[in-house]
Amino acid sequence: MSIHARASALLFAMAMLVAAPAPAAEDPALLKDLTAVLMLLGMPCGEVVSAKRQADNDHIATCKDGSRYRVFVNAEGRAAAQKL
Amino acid sequence: MRCAAIGLLALAAGCATVVAAPPAPELPSAAPAVTAAPAVTAAPAVIAPTAARPAPPAKAAREAAKPAPAPTLDVAALKERLRSTSACGVFTKLALKNQMDDLLQQFRAQHQSGGASGVSALRQPYDMLVLKVLAVVQDGDPSLARMISGSREAIWGILVDPVKFNALA
Repeated sequence: MSIHARASALLFAMAMLVAAPAPAAEDPALLKDLTAVLMLLGMPCGEVVSAKRQADNDHIATCKDGSRYRVFVNAEGRAAAQKL
Repeated sequence: MRCAAIGLLALAAGCATVVAAPPAPELPSAAPAVTAAPAVTAAPAVIAPTAARPAPPAKAAREAAKPAPAPTLDVAALKERLRSTSACGVFTKLALKNQMDDLLQQFRAQHQSGGASGVSALRQPYDMLVLKVLAVVQDGDPSLARMISGSREAIWGILVDPVKFNALA
């Protein structure tokens, strides 16, 4: 295998590693869930277009209008949202 | 406490139906149907041969105007449907449960203070919560939304009755 081929394979593998988390972050069910919970909590958002998982039951949601919220379950076991 | 929350959930689900936008339009349409009946029956008096024909619609209108028998409320089934529905996610279910718990707490406080008028003041928050539940559920689980709408008044009946409310908790 040539050096070029090896380099290409390595680049491809690295690209896959970087790209892998993206589908999970864009899970439509999660985005819908975060959109609904922000609506229920009275946070102006409209629609969540992307989300980043921080921990279990703890996400950073980015809305269509660019606003960002931390959506999490607080110590009292309540769904909570914090504007970032 | 968890049971109470689940019960609230089920109640809220019923409330969601309470929001029941559909029932509201039905009531006004039913009332006019009753008033329309005499007009229909009056016409046949003038035209004797057709007298028999208007009667069935009038009878149907009267029957339609009669209050439907109160639907039986299957709280357990409603709870199970709310728990298992895929129409909303974990965060949404938790937020709804939190809000139902808060509302139940307000009902509990009103019943303990013995103020009947105070309980009726909770109708608006109840309706709002039902609307929220319906908004969350109606696209993903229309049958559950109908179930909630159909049990809206039955749930309200439980919430405002101290005996039924305490039995639920």
